[in-house]
Amino acid sequence: MISELLFITLFFMVLALIPCLYRIIVGPTIPDRVVGLDALTIVIVVILGVYSFVQESIFFLDVALVISIISFVGTITISKYLDEGSVF
Amino acid sequence: MSILTTAIDAISMFFFLIGLVFVFLGMIGLLRLPDVYNRLHATTKIGTVGALAVMIGIVLKVGLSAMGLKAITVGLFLLLTAPIAAHMIARAAHRHGVGLCEESIMDDYGKTYK
Repeated sequence: MISELLFITLFFMVLALIPCLYRIIVGPTIPDRVVGLDALTIVIVVILGVYSFVQESIFFLDVALVISIISFVGTITISKYLDEGSVF
Repeated sequence: MSILTTAIDAISMFFFLIGLVFVFLGMIGLLRLPDVYNRLHATTKIGTVGALAVMIGIVLKVGLSAMGLKAITVGLFLLLTAPIAAHMIARAAHRHGVGLCEESIMDDYGKTYK
């Protein structure tokens, strides 16, 4: 019962990548694309968490933590670049 | 003992379903809402509630092992950093000159610094 729910969760999370890619490609302004990229990274982190539980391996969670840290730093960097014209 | 295991399985499935519902609603908001700020408002819920609910579901299944501790670390990190990232994107978009949608009736932040 729990394994079917896990596979349904993985299926819907992979389907949820499509609106993020649509918003990254089509989005009218640059902050739209940043929002799409942020949502894409968070969905990938959730996929890695569920897949780590399915495979019973803890290494995918390390990958998820590193991807979330890189996504946070990248979002802050792009925001500062848009705001002030330079990063530092 | 078997009743307790079944109850923990049921609560874990409930948290997985909460995460699924929040990701679904966030994706509908990312597709359908008319403005940068409205889309940001929708997608921040995925980062906070959706990811944290899925990670709590994993922790309830595996207990406080190495996998459970890593899962709750990822969930708490996303809970802390997703609102900060959303705030920075919204501030940069407003100061970059991205306008609001036509249905907006009020722009308080624009009045303060212009």
